[in-house]
Amino acid sequence: MSMDPAEVEFLAEKTMGEIGPFSPSLPVDVPLWMALNLKQRQKCRIQPPEWMDVEALEEVKQKETDDKFFTAMPSNHYMEITQLLMKYAPEDIPRADQIRTLIKDIWDLRNAKLRSSIDVFVRSDVTHAKLNHLTPMEINTARPFLTRALDQMHMLRTNTQTGLKQTQE
Amino acid sequence: MADLTEELEDESSEEGESMTAAEVLQKLEEAWLNEKFSPDLLEIKNDIVDCMLEQIKEMEENIRRAKKGDFRVGIHKMEIDRIRYFISSYLRTRLQKIEKYTAHVLEQEKARGSDETPQMSPDEYTFAKEYSENMENHFKVLALRHMPPNLQALDPKHTVMRPNLDSYVFLRVNEDTAGVLVEEETAEAGEEVIDLEKGDQLIIRYRPVATLVESGAVGLI
Repeated sequence: MSMDPAEVEFLAEKTMGEIGPFSPSLPVDVPLWMALNLKQRQKCRIQPPEWMDVEALEEVKQKETDDKFFTAMPSNHYMEITQLLMKYAPEDIPRADQIRTLIKDIWDLRNAKLRSSIDVFVRSDVTHAKLNHLTPMEINTARPFLTRALDQMHMLRTNTQTGLKQTQE
Repeated sequence: MADLTEELEDESSEEGESMTAAEVLQKLEEAWLNEKFSPDLLEIKNDIVDCMLEQIKEMEENIRRAKKGDFRVGIHKMEIDRIRYFISSYLRTRLQKIEKYTAHVLEQEKARGSDETPQMSPDEYTFAKEYSENMENHFKVLALRHMPPNLQALDPKHTVMRPNLDSYVFLRVNEDTAGVLVEEETAEAGEEVIDLEKGDQLIIRYRPVATLVESGAVGLI
C-alpha cells in the first residue's frame, strides 16, 4: 500500500509541456517523458512551463509564507518537474539557479508545515483531516508515518471501547 | 497525449468502445492508484485492461510498418513501455493482495450474487484457487500430518487473514458527496458525518469510503 518516489515521478512525467521544433521552429505540446527523451537525443529545445519563472515563484513563496495552510501550487508536480528539467535541460531554463533555490525554499516551507500539522493530528486524536493543495510527492513523503500512526490511534481508540481486536495485519 | 501520437495511432475501434485512448489511459491510471492504496481487493477493471492491451497491439503494428530509423519508433516504444508498466503494476498489485488474503477473496467472490460484476478476472480466480490448494497441501504435508490427530485441521475462522479495512488512506474527492458517515456512534462520541466537496483531499479510514472508491466518487492518492 505504498508508492515509490520513482512512481510519483513516473506520473509527473505525463505533464504536457512545450518543446520545439519538430518541423523546425514549431513549438509542440508533448508529455514530459517524451520531451526529456528527445532532449537527451539532442533533437529539441524545451520551453520551461510558465510558472517556472523567478518573479512568479517569488510570489508563490510569499503566499506560502503568509498563509497558515497550504496554498495551491502552480503544478501538482512542481517538485518532480523542476528536478527533471534541471537534470536534463538546465540550459533551456533562464536563471536556473535562482529557480532551483526558490523551489527548494517552497518545498521546505511546505514540508515544515506538513510536519507540524502531523504533530497536531497525532496529539489531538482526530479521526480524519482535510489536506487540500498538497501535491502527490508531499503526500507520499508523509504517507508511511501518517497512515501507520493514525491506524495505531484508531486501534487504541476502539480498544478502549470494545476490548476486542478483530483484524490481523 | 501529443498530437504526434494521435496521428500515428489508430483510433480505438472495438465495439462499444466510445472513449479515446487517452481517456482509457486516464481510467487505467485511476484504477492503478486505487488498487495500490486500498487495503482490500477492488473489482477488476477488465474492460480497461483489455482495451489498453488492444491499444498496445495496434501501436506495435504501427511500429512494424514505420520506416526504420524514424525517430518516432523510439518514442512509440517508450509509450508502449509506459502503458505496459501501468498494466503490469496494476495486475501485480492485485496478485499480491490475492496471495496475501487468499481465503478472504475466495470467500468474497463466492458470496457475490451472480448478477454482480466479479471481483477477480477468471484467470485471477483460477490462480487464487490453485494457490489456496497448494498452500493447504503444503501445510498438510509439511506439518499437519505430523501433529496429533485432533489438531490436524486448519480452522478457517482462526487462520483467515483479512485486510485491515480501518487503515487510513489519502483520497481526492471527484464528486460532491454529502453526508458520509465517518465514525459510528459510540458510548463516548456521537457519530461523525462529513460532506465531501469536489477537489478536496482528505486522510481518512478506508472503511467509510470503500463504496465511494468503487463507484469513482473519490479516488485514492
